Amino acid sequence: MELFVAQALNGLIIGLLYALIAIGLSLIFSVLKIVNFAHGECYMMGAFVSYYFSTLFGINPMLSVFLSMLVVFLLGVVIQYLFLRPLYTGAVERKDEYAILITFGLGVFLQNVAMSVFGPWTKKSPDFISGITRIGFMTVDNNRLAVSGVALLIMVALLVIIGKTFVGKALRAVSQDRDASAIVGINPHRMNILAFGIGVALAGGAGGLIGPIFLISPVMGILPGIKSFVIIVLGGMGSIKGAIIGSLLLGEIESLGSVFFLDPTRGLAYKNAFGVLLLAIVLLLKPTGLFGEKHVRME
Amino acid sequence: MKKALFVIGVALLVALLGGSSVWCQERIVIGGVAPLSAPGAAESGAEMKIAMEMAVGEIGKILGKPIKLQVEDTRGLPEEGTAAMNRLADAGAVGVVGEFHSAVAKAEIEVANERKLPLIVSEAWADVITGKQYPYVFRIAPANSLFYTKVADWVKSIGAKNVVAIVENTDWGLGVDSVFNATLPGEKNINGQAISYTSIVAERTVSDFTPQLLMYKAMRPRPDLVMDIFTGTGEYLIVKQAAELGLATTRETAIFPVGTSALYPEYWETVGEYGVFSITKTGYHPLLGVTPAIMEFTKKFEDKTGKTPTFAAMEAYDSIYVLAKAIENAQSTDGDAIVAALEKIRFDGVLGTIWFSQERKPDYMYHQWPGAKAVLIQYTAKDQKYTDAELIWPAMLKP
Repeated sequence: MELFVAQALNGLIIGLLYALIAIGLSLIFSVLKIVNFAHGECYMMGAFVSYYFSTLFGINPMLSVFLSMLVVFLLGVVIQYLFLRPLYTGAVERKDEYAILITFGLGVFLQNVAMSVFGPWTKKSPDFISGITRIGFMTVDNNRLAVSGVALLIMVALLVIIGKTFVGKALRAVSQDRDASAIVGINPHRMNILAFGIGVALAGGAGGLIGPIFLISPVMGILPGIKSFVIIVLGGMGSIKGAIIGSLLLGEIESLGSVFFLDPTRGLAYKNAFGVLLLAIVLLLKPTGLFGEKHVRME
Repeated sequence: MKKALFVIGVALLVALLGGSSVWCQERIVIGGVAPLSAPGAAESGAEMKIAMEMAVGEIGKILGKPIKLQVEDTRGLPEEGTAAMNRLADAGAVGVVGEFHSAVAKAEIEVANERKLPLIVSEAWADVITGKQYPYVFRIAPANSLFYTKVADWVKSIGAKNVVAIVENTDWGLGVDSVFNATLPGEKNINGQAISYTSIVAERTVSDFTPQLLMYKAMRPRPDLVMDIFTGTGEYLIVKQAAELGLATTRETAIFPVGTSALYPEYWETVGEYGVFSITKTGYHPLLGVTPAIMEFTKKFEDKTGKTPTFAAMEAYDSIYVLAKAIENAQSTDGDAIVAALEKIRFDGVLGTIWFSQERKPDYMYHQWPGAKAVLIQYTAKDQKYTDAELIWPAMLKP
């Protein structure tokens, strides 16, 4: 029982980290109607930017995370303006293929830039809070507790912005109907920029938070990027609520599944398969994902 | 005007072509393979490449011809290793040295054998690399069975009775695991107690080992030793997460990062104080004997990089010298002639006198350097260099 509870807590913490990456991807899809295949690399860039803010400039590690989110937001704005804007100005014919190619290419480019500039070696960001905390029979790293709390706060803040502010309403309007939004005075291009910037900034923030826990390297974004694709399909494309629920589900399934698998000594080897298995089952029962709606293509 | 331009053009061309007499000479291409980027162990690959470059720079010429070293990044991926070997063969390499990852070396030996390209594997330990007994494949690093059977003896000697491991799902990791599975379970330790061995396999891409470490922590009796049979980032994460969970290192439980990554300065940057009292292996330690060759190599390497070289660098350095010597002895760049020369070679390298066994039993001994050795060390302070760590085994080498 103790082992189950400890694993469930670990799964919850991991799920919250997944959620931060996945909701950014979900937001981008809901507004821009594209899948950002460079999302994992934006997560990686956030990790490195945060690392260098705290080690080179001596800035507080948590503040470095928020600064890295700002940097990655600006990077996202530039990427959106330079490479994705043509999708919405009629300059590109095969929009879906263009979006896939351009974001995939950007991902490869960012990874190689990181390898050249930062080097291929593994690094660790400074701790947010060093030491461990004992919660009854459980031992939890303080960094994980801090990161979970901050991830939760960021998600709550995002949900409040999306649900209660004018900007959030504008984003939702554009995600539902670009033309109608334009008619009522909302600039869809600006909302695209904002959505993409916020989306990658969330990934960058997740990367910055991960730094002291899972270490950072130029290829650290590959697996989380893939998992975030699984999560947004599982939760329903474009559904932020679905991304959060999907993330928590995935975190729990991976944590519990790898230990309580039929053969526990092989469970960890199949860890990445649990999420895909869950995805397959959910899609069989509900093809649009847990909270997804009928698929909407880019106009 | 046109005539003047023509004359200037020709003059420039002659200056460019004639500026370096080397450009006109035929060169001997020696190939190098190493992981220079993730997901491979880039820190090891980087030092191997530097060591190869140092050796080539010192040797200068073979058979009167300048050497061109072409190092390919295999990234720790078998398919990249295959592609790298084919690129080197196409580039006219007369021999190849290097490689760190066993899974990649396993792919590279197939190309070496198919294209009749002599390959000296510097630092990949899986038995099968020489176990396949390909005529074009040689190895300087120890084989898993050569070394880890002796580590099993050490485990018995320290009285461990509950040994657990997290194993990377690669040829090397699974090879080490199979040696421990064959030599530990059911055996008696120095106190006459039966030893149990439990291992969990994981992909190299896994970053959260907490569930499995929690499982080990919940075991009764508590593990005496946690074997971290991983390389690169995973090796660091297991040490870090085991300490964060209070599993190891404690009074009851030691941790043993079995890969090479614990020898690098990055170990301290990533695991910090959690690395103190961790145990690891090394193919070189000053107590094994500090020869003039080792001192010279170490000094040159430190002057160049500011870092202390590990045995991976020494192996790569010796591999280049061994290959060059074989080409000189053969007086030929033909693959078969080089192989024949390698089979007869005795070369005094940094790590000792290198020669290759012709024994076919056990199968991994064929073309294996029998003199390859490794010892166990234990860090006693943070940021400690591996050369200053305490040598804990073999006991007879302790001062």
